[in-house]
Amino acid sequence: MNELSVNHLLGIKYITKSDIDLIFETADHFKEVINRPIKKVPSLRDVTIANLFFENSTRTKLSFELAEKRLSADVINFSAAQSSVKKGETLIDTVNNILSMKVDMVVMRHPNPGAGVFLSKHIKAAIVNAGDGAHEHPTQALLDSFSIRERLGEVAGKNVVIVGDILHSRVALSNIYALKLQGANVMVCGPNTLIPQHIHKLGVKVEHDLRKALNWCDVANMLRVQNERMAISYFPSTREYTQQYGVNKNLLDSLDKEIVIMHPGPINRGVEITSDVADSGQSIILDQVQNGVAVRMAVIYLLASKIKN
Amino acid sequence: MNLLIKNAKIIDDTSSHHLLTKDILIENGVLSKIEDSIENTSNYETLKLENLHVSQGWFDSSVCLGEPGFEDRETLENGLNTAGKSGFTSIAMNPNSKPVFNDNAQIFSVKSKTQHHAVNLKPIGALTVNSDGVDLAELYDMQQAGTIAFYDYKKPISNPNLLKIALQYTKHLEGFVYSHPLEQKISGNGVMNEEKLSTMLGLAGSPNLAEAMQVARDLFLLEYTKGKLHIPTISTRESIDLIREAKIKGLQVTCSVAIHNLFFTDEMLHDFDTKYKVNPPLRTQQDIDALLEGLSNGTIDYITSDHNPLTIEDKNVEFEHASYGTIGLESAFGALNTLFSTEIAIKLLTRGKKHYQIESFSIEVGEKANLTLFNPDEDYLFDKSCVFSKSKNSIFLDHDLTGRAYGIISNNQIILGK
Repeated sequence: MNELSVNHLLGIKYITKSDIDLIFETADHFKEVINRPIKKVPSLRDVTIANLFFENSTRTKLSFELAEKRLSADVINFSAAQSSVKKGETLIDTVNNILSMKVDMVVMRHPNPGAGVFLSKHIKAAIVNAGDGAHEHPTQALLDSFSIRERLGEVAGKNVVIVGDILHSRVALSNIYALKLQGANVMVCGPNTLIPQHIHKLGVKVEHDLRKALNWCDVANMLRVQNERMAISYFPSTREYTQQYGVNKNLLDSLDKEIVIMHPGPINRGVEITSDVADSGQSIILDQVQNGVAVRMAVIYLLASKIKN
Repeated sequence: MNLLIKNAKIIDDTSSHHLLTKDILIENGVLSKIEDSIENTSNYETLKLENLHVSQGWFDSSVCLGEPGFEDRETLENGLNTAGKSGFTSIAMNPNSKPVFNDNAQIFSVKSKTQHHAVNLKPIGALTVNSDGVDLAELYDMQQAGTIAFYDYKKPISNPNLLKIALQYTKHLEGFVYSHPLEQKISGNGVMNEEKLSTMLGLAGSPNLAEAMQVARDLFLLEYTKGKLHIPTISTRESIDLIREAKIKGLQVTCSVAIHNLFFTDEMLHDFDTKYKVNPPLRTQQDIDALLEGLSNGTIDYITSDHNPLTIEDKNVEFEHASYGTIGLESAFGALNTLFSTEIAIKLLTRGKKHYQIESFSIEVGEKANLTLFNPDEDYLFDKSCVFSKSKNSIFLDHDLTGRAYGIISNNQIILGK
């Protein structure tokens, strides 16, 4: 198979294992490209991509923009933290206005779950979901799995624990879908208030004791506590959170085996992980960032080739 | 109005003609003859429709019509015509208007505007001034003007003492209080049922707990005050259990269920389709089973279409921004008749009347003609051509239904739809 089963990347739950395999094979190639002296290929010279960020982002936006430029696509950027909505313009109108300037693909981050799915029913352009509320962040999950595969050889059969704020996290949800699809065992760990009531129905284990979770896993993906998404306090203090769910070097060293530490960033150093953990040899946090560009190049390249066909 | 209806099967278990196919002669709005075959000696207009069935006129206890204030959604005139074409001879209209109906002048105004229509409209007054949930509106005055129910439409009464006072105040009035079953703090930002699917979609969920807690609280207040309470549109199995127990205790509580909460589970929301965004939210099959059981054993008193017209702009937006609600008059019979036998569907569509002081007329010679005409066997895809409302936000669009209303005969007039 050499093309994706979908015309958009709206979430991991809409794609297949074969899609993931294809994306990874393509990303392997692009990873080699971005490590060459000339880091650019002319693949998408006739493709125009709009990065529409209706919610603040630095890293994801930079990563997408770099991926697009490495593929020689024409890129336009639009950032409006919901300002158009406040002015009364609908999402469909905003995007159609941009598309009327002959844009082929839209990379969108939006605060509302399902915004990409909604848009895909109303506009004519390939859509890449760069995060929609607490729903999905598919490229993050892909680059996370790609990084596990790179470090451990494969994802299938590995034990992966996602630690922290699962309730508000699109990264957690997309990772659960991606890891399960590839045959990994998934556990979530965090204070009960930040674990969705029905999460076990997605086929994941739930653990509230961090030490037990870390002893079980091969990989720990440490999520950031998203204070900005919390309407009320889900735990008494950051200090108390760190006491229970922060990973420090002593804890890591006391485990039965050497596990891999991941983090989607940005890191709250000293909260979910300490600096010596983040900067240790067990951490693949910066590999994740580099792989992000290669994986996003693969996704964009594969979706663009479907437009051309 | 004079009319000869040919070959109509009568569905009315209060009538001696129940389940018989008859000709029915209507003279001056009164049933003057019901016989196997009636000759049209006076040359009256004749009505012949395929597989025609007639029953007593239907009633819906929760309808929004938009006027005044939201005429872009619906108007009184077209809304009442829609009700008639959909088989309803009487409706209770929610104070979902701008301004809300919270004094007698507004009640008088809507009554006088609609008094000559075939469809009998019972306005529901707001419980509190501007439906703000703070001070009681002039309930006695509104009742004198013609309303018997008081409801801050879809707004939960967050202050329990306000509900206590409202129940005490209305205890000796001819009227009763609606309390919307939702504990808002527990529901939080929930926009759909909290379950596996809400988790999968990353949408905040509203758990059954949020409804059950409010119902439990309200029933405690009812027991204390010995007042009269209606709980509109329940959706959870827990609510059924609580209300059943309250009725066994002898409390004066009634409740209703929205037809779409019997028909669809929350699984319909899998691709964020806002037409399924309703309040209360679509729940699970377990809840539906309990609701169906509650209807058959009488725990749930009556059904409603919970008709709420909304514009494209209200609905065709991101899920979290979309308004709650669906129109339901046009699909009400088809949906119920798909779920139940025709006789039970008709019972459910008529048994709420007595609570709203709406007179029922048996299908017998000498009685007023207050009839719904329908075909219970027509299978069809419910699409936009089935919608008479100004707004098209039907949750039933693109679903198969069995049974369609032809229209009504009421107040000496006839209204026919398709």
